[in-house]
Amino acid sequence: MITLNDEIKEQLITLAAEKNIFLEGNITKLIDCESNLEFQNYIFKCISRDKENRKKRLDITKTIQEQNKALIEWKSHNEQLNKDLQAALTESEKAKQLAESDLDVLQKKTQNELVGSIVKVALWIICGVGTITSILFAATLFTGLENKTVESSWSNMFSILLTNSFSIVGTIMGVKYAGNKGAGRCPNCKKN
Amino acid sequence: MLDSILLVDDENLFHLVFEDACSLLDISLNLMAIDNADAAENHFAGLVKNNKPKPDCIFVDLNIIGSSFDGIELVRRINFEHGDGVVIGIISSSDDEAEQAKAVKAGAQFWIIKSDEIEPRLEEFVKDLDGYKERTAPFKVYR
Repeated sequence: MITLNDEIKEQLITLAAEKNIFLEGNITKLIDCESNLEFQNYIFKCISRDKENRKKRLDITKTIQEQNKALIEWKSHNEQLNKDLQAALTESEKAKQLAESDLDVLQKKTQNELVGSIVKVALWIICGVGTITSILFAATLFTGLENKTVESSWSNMFSILLTNSFSIVGTIMGVKYAGNKGAGRCPNCKKN
Repeated sequence: MLDSILLVDDENLFHLVFEDACSLLDISLNLMAIDNADAAENHFAGLVKNNKPKPDCIFVDLNIIGSSFDGIELVRRINFEHGDGVVIGIISSSDDEAEQAKAVKAGAQFWIIKSDEIEPRLEEFVKDLDGYKERTAPFKVYR
């Protein structure tokens, strides 16, 4: 225990009375009050005040602890949500890529088939009509008959059929590649 | 009343709670708080090496973030490498029986559950303190 001299005890009591300044902390429990009643009251008051302050601080600290715990839980919850969102985004991105890939395959297949059919039909027509008109044209040449009509038909058939068939194939290919490379670049869609 | 207490806990706010609780309950007026297990081990080893008075009781948190080992390992090291009958135990929010069994093996004498109302558990602990000092009290969990 600490024993203070009378002068210091008087000063401490005066300080408390005039300026409301008290000793605080655990040291107040270590001061020997001896038989000085006034000083005993003073120390009792110091200890009471210290206890009150500690109780208040304890409550505040516990509240802060609770708030910290809640914040940590909230942070952890948010992090989990972020992870889930990220995973969902990744999954949806994968699904999107897969869908695009599937669509591309389907489109390619359909267009290839389409191009193939058109080319075949065009070739059949060219060959069929070409053969017939060629035979007719050859016959007119050998027989000496008038061949102006057959000649013009033969010429027209070839020019029209060839032009149209390759024009169709070209259009389909153009639509296909323009669709792939220029997706979303439509001038009317720029504002979107 | 205990002469001195050493608290090892990474949560600085709990240092304040514990100090105020110990003062209000007159458990001890001399509390040292360390927030790292490595530092606590070095501190304790230093006390032993320099023949300085050791704390009467050591309270160790289970998970001490920022340390190279956990609270149970610290208990083991203090008990088996540096200690000499010092009262030591765990103070943690966990109530895991497996961890408690490990703590017993490491030499922990008590386990105090850390929660909002720590004061009643400390009061109960103080009642058993003599048994811990004399090594006669069994391991106990204060819930």
